[in-house]
Amino acid sequence: MAGSEQRVVAVIMVGGPTKGTRFRPLSLNVPKPLFPLAGQPMVHHPISACRRIPNLAQIYLVGFYEEREFALYVSSISNELRVPVRYLREDKPHGSAGGLYSFRDYIMEDSPSHIVLLNCDVCSSFPLPDMLEAHKKYGGMGTLLVNKVSAESANQFGELVADPETNELLHYTEKPETFVSDLINCGVYIFTPNIFNAIEDVLKQKKDRANLRRVSSFEALHSATKALPADYVRLDQDILSPLAGKKELYTYQTLDFWEQIKTPGMSLRCSGLYLSQFRHTSPHLLASGDGKMSATIIGDVYIHPSAKVHPTAKIGPNVSISANARIGAGARLIHCIILDDVEIMENAVVIHSIVGWKSTVGKWSRVQGAGDHNAKLGITILGEAVDVEDEVVVVNSIVLPNKTLNVSVQEEIIL
Amino acid sequence: MKALILVGGFGTRLRPLTLSFPKPLVDFANKPMILHQIEALKEVGVTEVVLAINYRPEVMLNFLKDFEDKLGITITCSQETEPLGTAGPLALARDKLVDGSGEPFFVLNSDVISEYPFAELIKFHKNHGGEATIMVTKVDEPSKYGVVVMEEATGMVEKFVEKPKIFVGNKINAGIYLLNPSVLDRIKLKPTSIEKEVFPRIAADAKLYAMVLPGFWMDVGQPRDYITGLRLYLDSLRKRSADRLANGAHIVGNVLVHESAKIGEGCLIGPDVAIGPGCVVEDGVRLSRCTVMRGVRIKKHACISNSIIGWHSTVGQWARIENMTILGEDVHVGDEVYTNGGVVLPHKEIKSSILKPEIVM
Repeated sequence: MAGSEQRVVAVIMVGGPTKGTRFRPLSLNVPKPLFPLAGQPMVHHPISACRRIPNLAQIYLVGFYEEREFALYVSSISNELRVPVRYLREDKPHGSAGGLYSFRDYIMEDSPSHIVLLNCDVCSSFPLPDMLEAHKKYGGMGTLLVNKVSAESANQFGELVADPETNELLHYTEKPETFVSDLINCGVYIFTPNIFNAIEDVLKQKKDRANLRRVSSFEALHSATKALPADYVRLDQDILSPLAGKKELYTYQTLDFWEQIKTPGMSLRCSGLYLSQFRHTSPHLLASGDGKMSATIIGDVYIHPSAKVHPTAKIGPNVSISANARIGAGARLIHCIILDDVEIMENAVVIHSIVGWKSTVGKWSRVQGAGDHNAKLGITILGEAVDVEDEVVVVNSIVLPNKTLNVSVQEEIIL
Repeated sequence: MKALILVGGFGTRLRPLTLSFPKPLVDFANKPMILHQIEALKEVGVTEVVLAINYRPEVMLNFLKDFEDKLGITITCSQETEPLGTAGPLALARDKLVDGSGEPFFVLNSDVISEYPFAELIKFHKNHGGEATIMVTKVDEPSKYGVVVMEEATGMVEKFVEKPKIFVGNKINAGIYLLNPSVLDRIKLKPTSIEKEVFPRIAADAKLYAMVLPGFWMDVGQPRDYITGLRLYLDSLRKRSADRLANGAHIVGNVLVHESAKIGEGCLIGPDVAIGPGCVVEDGVRLSRCTVMRGVRIKKHACISNSIIGWHSTVGQWARIENMTILGEDVHVGDEVYTNGGVVLPHKEIKSSILKPEIVM
């Protein structure tokens, strides 16, 4: 048995309902962390990656959604993975470091030697066991997962410079205006419990500064507290930037896939990435078929066991079909997410689209996106309970819940 | 009796179909357009048809040779070496049209589809004793056309008003005439318009009569009107000889299917569809308001509406073709491709979707 000095606790930041507005209209129905990618809730993928860490004692989900939104999921995943998963609700956003700090008593309950911290809206293979080994070797307080991206896209993220020999984090800057580096922060960290001391130092400094201001000017205090509350601590600006170059923080570069899941378009892409990862990690989750007894399957496809797919349908690549969905005779699905209780009728075609819960796509209808995951209307999204009538074509459009489409639309947002 | 059909030039408005065949040979309701007219002329006793043509007469004659024997009718060409307008070709073909019998002869515009009530036309013409009869048809927007102003009771034409700004009547020239040989004396061998120059002069002499065309009428010289024309034609066919239309659980409305075409399981076809000889329509296909020409294959689960699929083309599985998509001859649309108003020239392969109407060279 491993000693207590080997224990690991994982914390996954899931955000809250006021975040993730870019994920509408899908986040109107379900908290974004529970939106299914490759047939599993988004948060399931980091959770099962954490499960692969040796001596994992506990997983906490931290966010400001209502408890009940996560209750069912947390209880079933704890059972499934045989590791305690608990949702901790922040009374208000504290920033990712502040959030971590506010639950330090829970996190330290198991006296972990290491804390894994990650953001739920990151799509990655999460190479946590290897990263943990590297972290132990570096001997610092924290290790960041980093990724090389194109120079043009780097400024959307935290850019950083690492020592090529020692991998030490030398410089960190969040979303800079000018180019600093094409290495970026992936939002996945391993810390020793000393991180709490570092956060405490920041909190102390903030408090001191606030006190100073109170003496000098009431007005200054007012505006400062309005901008950021005193107990709000950002991991990037408040911890990573000041500690860079002080032999406290190190980097571990992933050569595997990594994406941020901010928009529905990216969720479709990330669903595909997770499906292709299943090919190596959980091939039993992927469907197969040649059109004789069951539908023809092309590439990586997930079909929930309760979904009914007609043998003459052709599915894939990159399709995930959720619970109780019905796919009719001669339907064709390519690069799409079909959510619970959807009905796709005979000979309908769905390409580069997300079809929301309880929606129906009529006979010979066509729901299609261009497949540009970064464009605003690059994929077609049908919200909950949208009815596309027979033979209607919906191209590059977003349809909000509870609409019936009886004429074709293209490049439209339908309220 | 004799007849002259004004075939004219390149048929550019019906491209890309007319890049493969002269316009009169483009199929309409599973038959080259001109055959509809020739067969109707044959029915009322026409023995010789002259085609006034200025483009590729050899293609026409080669094709029509078979029909000469089959129908027992003589078909000749009168080729303009320079454009002669709509009346000039009559002067050019004068020797072929006049045989000394004094019988009137037909002149038809080749773009026009109707029920061709030639027997009634002959009767009307003989009754009024004038020099010429034109058929007229009622339109909704007369301001777009040349309106024929006539005496309601007798049909005597008073005058023509080109694109009237105020309402003078709603009957327009339908492009079907029956003329006495004497009309030829009014036409010189030079570019002349029969509508704008010859008819007004006959009307001025009170010798021009107009008969309102019963049934439908459509100028099918361009794709949109071609598709509308097919609907009108099939409606009319339903009334005249419904037995020629397809029926069955998979048929909706009026559908014409050539006897050599094959249709798979689970299809839904119609309304207003024509499927030509040798076509193969596989399982689960949806077709509405479209023409599928000879030798086309429509693969499984494809869906086609408001479009024309040219000869020997193929449409891939789960492809979607709509909104005035016109596929020229031998065009191949890939599996799952969507074309919304794509106009595709012959011998092309379409591998990615056409989301907005465009021309594919």
